[in-house]
Amino acid sequence: MPERHPQTRTNQPLLRGLPTTASILLLLLLSLVRAQADLWSEVQSRGVLRWGDDAEGGAPYIYHPENDATRLVGFEVEFAEALAARLGVRDQFVQNNWDMLLPALRQGGNFDVVIAGMERTPENLAKADMSRPYFVFAQQLVVRSNNAAWQSISDLKGKPVGVLSASSSHRLLERLGGFDIRVYQDNVNYFRDLEVGRIDGVLTDTPIAQVNLAGNDRLRAAGAPFEPGYYAVAVPAGETNLLRRLDTAIEGLAADGTLERIYTKYGQWSATQEGLRTWQPPVEVVRRQRSGLREWRTFLPMLLRAAVTTVWVTCGGMILAVTLGLALAIVKQYAPAPLRWMAVAYIEVFRGTPLLLQIYFIYFGLAQQLGLKLSAGAAAVLALGLNYAATEAENYRAGLLSVPRGQMEAALALGMKQRVALRRVLLPQALRISLPSVTNDFIAMFKDSSIVSVIALVELTKEFQIRAIDTGDYLGLGLMTAGIYFAMSWTASLGARRIERMLHHDHR
Amino acid sequence: MITVEKLTKSFGSHRVLDAVDHRQERSESVVILGPSGCGKSTFLRCLNQLEVPDSGRITISDVTVDCARPVPREVQRQLRLRAGMVFQQFHLFPHLTALENILEAPVHVQGRPRAEVLDEARALLAQVGLSDRAGHRPSQLSGGQQQRVAIARALAMRPAVLLLDEPTSALDPELREEVRDVLRRLADDGLTMLLVTHDLQLARDVSDRIRFFHGGQVVEEGRPEAVLDNPQHPRTREFMGKTGGG
Repeated sequence: MPERHPQTRTNQPLLRGLPTTASILLLLLLSLVRAQADLWSEVQSRGVLRWGDDAEGGAPYIYHPENDATRLVGFEVEFAEALAARLGVRDQFVQNNWDMLLPALRQGGNFDVVIAGMERTPENLAKADMSRPYFVFAQQLVVRSNNAAWQSISDLKGKPVGVLSASSSHRLLERLGGFDIRVYQDNVNYFRDLEVGRIDGVLTDTPIAQVNLAGNDRLRAAGAPFEPGYYAVAVPAGETNLLRRLDTAIEGLAADGTLERIYTKYGQWSATQEGLRTWQPPVEVVRRQRSGLREWRTFLPMLLRAAVTTVWVTCGGMILAVTLGLALAIVKQYAPAPLRWMAVAYIEVFRGTPLLLQIYFIYFGLAQQLGLKLSAGAAAVLALGLNYAATEAENYRAGLLSVPRGQMEAALALGMKQRVALRRVLLPQALRISLPSVTNDFIAMFKDSSIVSVIALVELTKEFQIRAIDTGDYLGLGLMTAGIYFAMSWTASLGARRIERMLHHDHR
Repeated sequence: MITVEKLTKSFGSHRVLDAVDHRQERSESVVILGPSGCGKSTFLRCLNQLEVPDSGRITISDVTVDCARPVPREVQRQLRLRAGMVFQQFHLFPHLTALENILEAPVHVQGRPRAEVLDEARALLAQVGLSDRAGHRPSQLSGGQQQRVAIARALAMRPAVLLLDEPTSALDPELREEVRDVLRRLADDGLTMLLVTHDLQLARDVSDRIRFFHGGQVVEEGRPEAVLDNPQHPRTREFMGKTGGG
């Protein structure tokens, strides 16, 4: 729009300027759309391919070498490097929680592609475009060495088997059915639980099995790898230009032996990887956009089943918390010095450290150091109960302190022993006073209980995560899950208000 | 019935009770008067060990404690069982009804069967004129009614002596008379009572003897007419002048 408008034109009718303004806007819009549409040209002009991965993925994918915590190595790190080089740009690693890599990619996050052991499955293809595979893996069953009998996954029907959340192993076991599936957040802790005997098997991808079995004589691979699958680079949907470039580059890396060199270095090359050179895309990829709300008949029962776990973990935790909390409050308030200090220490430690840390400590720490193998459910109840006991103790203490001093004096003057005075006079009044805070905490625990999903316990939030990752429908499933949480806490607070009213009436 | 020898108590450097002696016969009713801060309430609270005296000996009925040494809890409790206490602020148990307040200690301290105590508790409520308030909670009762329940609660334990700490002070003047009335009848019935009060009317009505406290000591004592109408000690005279006969 080089034409300059002389000053005199400003008093002309406004409409005259409109075509010009419209065309400027159109051009701007077009350039915006083009910039958005072509991620490849953006990568080119930037000179950098940003790839998302989770550095917690571990060996052999991506990990810190033993003697250098600042550097990252792994076959995916080197693959990304080689891939970028082949595209004529540099590569840049971007850290992102593994579970959220594909959702973040779809949101137009701060990376262009995902290179993170992402499988080329219909589920993933519904959420992003995927390149031709750069790695062939298979399912490997791992069991304890001292158990010679188990040779294939069918030998473990009805037994607890660990899998990575939302992985192909997870989906495979669900499809086969009949297993006691234990869902883990990472690729490390299920091997620990297998060693200590909490679970009887782990089904995982071959690279993970290979690395974790090396030098570990307590575990062994059971049977041959099966169910091959492919890792591919995930690209935002519709970025066909970038996708084509990636396909060509990967094909080249397979043909010229670069992949073989990298994978051999990490002990991952096998005859099956030869298939990378000749791989052809399946004729038709079914793309299903799934909706949790439309398919509520499938998902609601799943979520409700998980909600039952949330309810019993919360109720169990709260029962422990209110009883232990009461004991702590009484000891802190009335017991002689050494006991009192212990109660104070307990309360301060459990209030002053994160619940998440306590859960890890109770579930993994105790099993490792003391051989105390609690089930995930027991550990969850224990962790929530022990943590909330500290809070409840302070609630009760506040209640005890707000009972007028004269009440204790009147009780003592009647010849009551301190113990009787507490039980008959002080506690009935103190508990009424602390009831609202206690019920508040009960409702809060419904929500806090979601944190126990880190120890292979599938409660409501975890179930939501698994299904949302599968379907990509965070909104619909999220609304359903929120609705269930709301129904639970609402019921709890209605019940609590009823009890409060009853006691209040009783009190008057 | 009550013998106190050289009872001494200090709060920090302030000597609240200075070697106070006290003797009281069965069925005798004694009133302690004195200005605020003279130690009279502390004296009463020391008798049933709500305050721990520094030294002195206390005997109530058959229990004697030597306050110079640590008193075992059980001995304290035995002393309290013999000395019922009525507080200025009543201190009824708010979560229990009037009747339950009276039943509480006989059932849960003495372990007596509830059915047996129930008749007694009803009789006590009748005695303080509150038969129709048995099922009411303290918050549903007036101050005067609460204090009358508190008196019944203390009597239910059949104490050898009833200690009353300013029993009418927290009440509106028009409610005081109902409490005085109950206490007058108890005195007439021969209950051993030791009262601390500012209420000169009450002192005149129920006491056989008045002791006047000042500075942690008894400075004057005698028949109520003598102390109230013709005080000898300058402090007593000053006090009567200010309080103006009730």
